[in-house]
Amino acid sequence: MRFMVIVKANAKSEAGEMPSEQLLTEMGKFNEELVKAGVMLAGEGLHPSSKGVRIRFEGDKRTIIDGPFAETKELIAGFWLIQVKSKEEAIEWMKRVPNPADGGDGEIEIRQVFEADDFGDALTPELREQENRLRAQVEANQK
Amino acid sequence: MKKFMIIRKADEETEAGAMPSEQLVSDMMRYNEQLVEAGMMIGGDGLHPTSNAARIRFHNGAPTVIDGPFTEAKELIAGYTLVQANSRDEVIEWAKRWPASDAHGNVQLEIRQVYTVEDFGEAFSPEMRELEEQLRTRSEELAKGTNS
Repeated sequence: MRFMVIVKANAKSEAGEMPSEQLLTEMGKFNEELVKAGVMLAGEGLHPSSKGVRIRFEGDKRTIIDGPFAETKELIAGFWLIQVKSKEEAIEWMKRVPNPADGGDGEIEIRQVFEADDFGDALTPELREQENRLRAQVEANQK
Repeated sequence: MKKFMIIRKADEETEAGAMPSEQLVSDMMRYNEQLVEAGMMIGGDGLHPTSNAARIRFHNGAPTVIDGPFTEAKELIAGYTLVQANSRDEVIEWAKRWPASDAHGNVQLEIRQVYTVEDFGEAFSPEMRELEEQLRTRSEELAKGTNS
């Protein structure tokens, strides 16, 4: 099963403070372990929400709201996409993550990712075929 | 090219574990197809509700595990799309065309730029950069074939 591990934002990440060389080195080591174990599928960090934007849909209306957004602890600063056998395994791996808050109080959230089979009958054979074709095309585009 | 994450915020229905209708799956697929054809799509996924989630809080280096569900539905994430584009404005224009059938026309999206190696400056040594590239290549290999 796949999980998205969300790194929650904190005052430092929202201020646009970049990680120290030490944290980058520790993260690099941790990521290397994840890759060697066949666990890590992707990972990225996000610019602070001051550079972000929200779009609120209400019927035909689209309202653009510029960042920064206030509720820092609920925002996202980065994520991993991992593949493991269970949620427990995901938790065990992530207890060992170098504190992304660089010494401060940090929080991460572990969320299971939907797979094609989870969608049941709504994902008709035609839609499933389309989905597979799109995934293949995306992989080919990235080469 | 810059990279952006389009975050689909959660709502009461996604948090209740309601699955999308065939109509919505079909609309979303058509929208994704347009992103792929424009050469913008990098990836995307939907997430299980937080009733199936856990948080790990680190205090003075010690982890505490907290089981879901988490309450502030509007601040949670229900899914994401990763795209590459020339500018944030380009992503906003595309995001405005998100399928109207999602969340019965009341969806909320958040667009966030993704850091690239260049953003990390000198803290990112040449050795680190090399390791980063190796890890990226290998995780991309791992990611192939996990989606179907």
